[in-house]
Amino acid sequence: MTTATAEVRIRSGVGFWLASYGNMLRFDMVNLRIYLGLVLVVQILMGGGMAYMYGFYFGDISNVARTFIVTGIPALALIPVGFVMVPGAIMNHKIKDTYDFVWSLPVPRLASAAATYTLFTTLAIPGTIVSLWIAHIRYAVTLDISWSIVPAILLTSLMATSVGFSFAHAIPEPRLTNLVTNLIIFLALMFSPIVVPINQFPGWWAAVHRVLPFYHMANVIRAGLSTGLVDSVATSWLVLAIWTCLSWLLAAWVVGRRR
Amino acid sequence: MTAVSLADGIPLPMKRRGVANWVRSYLAMLRWDMTNTRLMIPILAFAQAISGAGLVLGFGLLIPSQPPLVAAYLVTGAAVVTLIMVGAAVGPQLVAQQKMEGSYDFMWSLPVPRSAAAMSWVTLNAIIAVPGMVAALVAGALRFDVSFAITPMVVPAVLITIVSGTLLGYALSHAIPKPEVTLLVSQILIFVIFGFAPIAFPAENLPSWMATTHQYLPFVHMANIIRDSLVDGIATDVAHSYLVLAIWSVVAIAVSAAVLRRRK
Repeated sequence: MTTATAEVRIRSGVGFWLASYGNMLRFDMVNLRIYLGLVLVVQILMGGGMAYMYGFYFGDISNVARTFIVTGIPALALIPVGFVMVPGAIMNHKIKDTYDFVWSLPVPRLASAAATYTLFTTLAIPGTIVSLWIAHIRYAVTLDISWSIVPAILLTSLMATSVGFSFAHAIPEPRLTNLVTNLIIFLALMFSPIVVPINQFPGWWAAVHRVLPFYHMANVIRAGLSTGLVDSVATSWLVLAIWTCLSWLLAAWVVGRRR
Repeated sequence: MTAVSLADGIPLPMKRRGVANWVRSYLAMLRWDMTNTRLMIPILAFAQAISGAGLVLGFGLLIPSQPPLVAAYLVTGAAVVTLIMVGAAVGPQLVAQQKMEGSYDFMWSLPVPRSAAAMSWVTLNAIIAVPGMVAALVAGALRFDVSFAITPMVVPAVLITIVSGTLLGYALSHAIPKPEVTLLVSQILIFVIFGFAPIAFPAENLPSWMATTHQYLPFVHMANIIRDSLVDGIATDVAHSYLVLAIWSVVAIAVSAAVLRRRK
């Protein structure tokens, strides 16, 4: 708090940063108000809808396999938000030529990025819970929920938002971003060990997934919802943290440079 | 054709009716459509091939040890899904794009019978769809050793599937004036065809009310007749499926005709 209320405000300091962050949060919320409802719909389709779909394709399956599907659904519901809707929002700015305007606003770019992270990370949570609930009703398995589910969902959501944010900013051509998001969905739905154990994948493909974030997203969430299905969860936490930090570095570089 | 001439020898334009005119218009429209979408055709055909093969290989990963029956369902179903997807979902997106670009009305001002334009559209969709079907079958043969028993019935089965699927999408995209709504409906169709229609899995896996509903929708019947022509011993009651598809085609043609004949 400063007592000097001069006409010209100094654009630095913690107070200014927090004020900018609050403003950008409000700006993003108003700007993306149509998204707010859409996020929930997309998540329920991708999460809850896929829970049913996998059931149709898989037919009669064991109790363990059912638990795998149910505990994989939250990760599946988080993926479209971070990897599709966040890039979509940024793509929209580029297509509508409002992209440069957003960056011309007199706020620290870090505050602006932090506002986007906060908004989408929290926005993804209700849809994730609803999807888990739908899957739980469909498969009627007993879940063993522990406190670690809270940081697990928060970190996976933050990681997905951060990665989506940085690649959407880093790729100049919005149509290319669109292609990437479609590829990610295809990869996540059909070729990832999210609703099935990773050890049923061929070795080389499992090795790829130990580097990619999708398996680890499912792994930390599964650890918070069940016991005995998950091993090396510490590695998964670490990999997710690394993806988050790397995407922040990329975002800092892309967002910080001047043209 | 007898050429009627004006006094000074300039021939009159050809009369716009008759079979010859229809065929000529069809070929002209086909060239028009192909040129118009020349950049999109390879991309769309490639995307269909990827998604057809991807469906087979992806579920091969998720369900590693499949009984032969399930594998046969999956492989033939993936082929059918790609066929239906193009006519019912990708086609409407192309029409929606024309509407958004503002080239839609121009298309209809061209001096060709609208039925010729519609058939050209069906042909274009077939060109995009068939590579996806082939890719799915090849991927299936390589991954699962499905023993195919391909009969000549594959030709009419694929034809009626493409024609009825495309005309349904056609009716949909022309009947809905707002392209945004068409896009939304086609997205929902993709979702339903992919996940909630018993195409790549047996109908018994669905809740019974959904399976019953699908008896009246075209998708399961498209899958049935194509499966009948590709593998032995899965498809049943094929004649009934042909009948249902014939009815759906007539409905789609009637809706398309009603929409296209209308003048603004």
